[in-house]
Amino acid sequence: MNSLPNIRAIARRELTVRLRTRAFRFGTLVLLAGVLAIAFAPLIVRAIEGSTTERIAVVDASGLAADPVATLDAILAPPGGDPDTAILVTAVPTLDAGLGGERDGTYVGVLTIRRAASGELEFRLYTDERPANRIPQLIAQAAATLTAQDRLVRLGVGPAAQASLFAGTDFSVEGTDPERASAPASVVEEGAQVMLGFGLTILIFMMILLYGNWVAMSVVEEKSSRVMEVILNAATPFQLLSGKVLGVGGAAAVQYAAILLVGGIALAVQDPVSSLVLGQSASTLALPEGLTIGVLLMFVIYGVLGFLLYAVLYAAAGSLVSRQEDVNSVVQPLTLLASVGYIVAVYTSIGLIDVGGAPLTILSLFPFTSPFMVLSRTLEGTIAPWEVGLSLAILVVSIVGALWVAARIYAAGVLLYGQRPSVRTVWQVVRTGS
Amino acid sequence: MTLEVHGLRKRFGDVQALDGVEFAVKPGEVFGFLGSNGAGKTTTMRIILGLLRADEGEVTWRGTPASAWPCGTWGYMPEERGLYPRMPVLEQLLFYASLYGIGRARARRDAEEWLRRFRIGEYADRTADSLSKGNQQKVQFIATVLHDPDVLIMDEPFTGLDPVNAALLRAAFLEMRDRGKTLVFSTHQLDTAEALCETVAIIDHGRVVTGGSTREVRRSTGHQVVRVATAEDGDGTWLSSLPHVTVTRPGEDYTELRVDAGSDPQAVLRAAIATGHEVLRFEVADPSLEEVFVEQVGAVQVDEERTLAAAGGVR
Repeated sequence: MNSLPNIRAIARRELTVRLRTRAFRFGTLVLLAGVLAIAFAPLIVRAIEGSTTERIAVVDASGLAADPVATLDAILAPPGGDPDTAILVTAVPTLDAGLGGERDGTYVGVLTIRRAASGELEFRLYTDERPANRIPQLIAQAAATLTAQDRLVRLGVGPAAQASLFAGTDFSVEGTDPERASAPASVVEEGAQVMLGFGLTILIFMMILLYGNWVAMSVVEEKSSRVMEVILNAATPFQLLSGKVLGVGGAAAVQYAAILLVGGIALAVQDPVSSLVLGQSASTLALPEGLTIGVLLMFVIYGVLGFLLYAVLYAAAGSLVSRQEDVNSVVQPLTLLASVGYIVAVYTSIGLIDVGGAPLTILSLFPFTSPFMVLSRTLEGTIAPWEVGLSLAILVVSIVGALWVAARIYAAGVLLYGQRPSVRTVWQVVRTGS
Repeated sequence: MTLEVHGLRKRFGDVQALDGVEFAVKPGEVFGFLGSNGAGKTTTMRIILGLLRADEGEVTWRGTPASAWPCGTWGYMPEERGLYPRMPVLEQLLFYASLYGIGRARARRDAEEWLRRFRIGEYADRTADSLSKGNQQKVQFIATVLHDPDVLIMDEPFTGLDPVNAALLRAAFLEMRDRGKTLVFSTHQLDTAEALCETVAIIDHGRVVTGGSTREVRRSTGHQVVRVATAEDGDGTWLSSLPHVTVTRPGEDYTELRVDAGSDPQAVLRAAIATGHEVLRFEVADPSLEEVFVEQVGAVQVDEERTLAAAGGVR
């Protein structure tokens, strides 16, 4: 019997019914709202706050030859720097005058500079900010620079000599691993890539968990309504299983496509919207660095294959119970497996755990973890092409194997009512097919 | 050239669900499968359809193993539901038909025709769960016949139907039979079985206790039923003195008696005349299926099995 028409009919039904449910529409709307909120969050925050440039007041009682206000200003708001992160420095005559400005919100803090009895400069920052926050940290750095300059002056080092002393350092990190094709050039770039890997891995993880559960729920719905028995007269368990996974996968694709589309449009229109709302371009907002077509393609491939592998097993698990309430407990092992793969992948990619060479390779090849591992390692540039190729091959073979196992569990499980089969029963079913 | 079920055995864990089930249904016949809950009816049907595998025994249709026939040969109506709760009625009928390769246009025409006939045409676009149970059952029946199967296997199709709907379904059954279809259905409603079935089988504890043509089964106990009424207003003591006769249903209009196998019902008539009163009624009949069933399976046990089934036992 030709399987394709039945698989197509089952998948089409699953897809159309799924797209029509309130849960799907509502869920998609919520996700879209989330995407828009994230995409426009910087813009919204800026529109609400107006200018985000912070100011501090400086009370200078140091008697320094070079004006410390100008020096601080040069350090905290360097010319050509990002206006969002700059801190503007204003001189005020007294601490009280500065504190008045701090209270009415003009300044985030007041910095006093004076020379202590020891001859060293003494800095005091009066502010509500916590010591560990960005502004106190930046001012502490600026204060350290001022102190160093002051000490050098007192040691007799002139401004010209100081300029050469403080000139930039020639430093770079060179990789030692020849397979590491694209070592990130800078800290910023590395950070962006880790974040991107992190984000894409979360998306794959969510896709597997959310849509895998849909598959299991849908199987149980058919089972509890006895639709399954009617359909199994016309279609094989394999057809039913494949059609269902493809149908739910189609619904998932619709949802993800909508999110990507809206997210992409949001990013694209950010500049015009920004200049419309704020009168300035949103130059600092851009696609995450490293998000290339190749990376997107890998995301789609591993997302789809990972979903397929987990989804067929979710379907098999769902076929073992007959009530919606029991779905959670029966899919738990799968959820756990996905969670472990996801957590290990994320922790290794941000360097929280270092599993080292061989285990890392194994995790990248093991089909239940590879959808999470390979993407972040690709972005880090720490994976060899053969590992990617082999992991894909293993994943595809595993999906075929999982389909075979799942169809057997499914065929036996769909007719079990009111009893929760033991692990032994399931194993026997897989082995003997009855 | 029949649907033959040979020596089916099936065990679920500690429960011997089927213990050598055996019966035959001729093409174009209506076959009633009678038994208490847990007797093994559903398991037998699932094995016929290939949903379950028997431990032993085989099922053949027209001499060929049932599994060798294309799936379109069979139509299955499971007990209760069998419809997607939140899917419009017509749409799911078309979906089911498409699985059997029935073209959309033909399926739509036939489905609408059936819906009209069952007086639920206006519900075509409503979701199944918004229909009453009886109406859902009719939709389910349409789903069973839409692909024009040769054999209809139906699990408790009459349960929960009101008299009007039951009559509609009975008429549909007879029409299917006249079209040459073979109908197999299980039921608790023995009067329905009596009215519809050419053949029946009573199953108990995984075994066919009695089977054959409805008439044969009704005669299988050897008892006969006598309904008698005389002009006497008395308590009918003359009846209890008769040998081999038991009063089964004392009544105002007439008294129903069971005459043991091998005894002559005419003896009752002679005794009635001997009372000297006018005999108003005298009738000899075969026992009803219900009487045979109760005698073979036992009334008490029916309740017992129901409790078991409700507790989640294997069917």
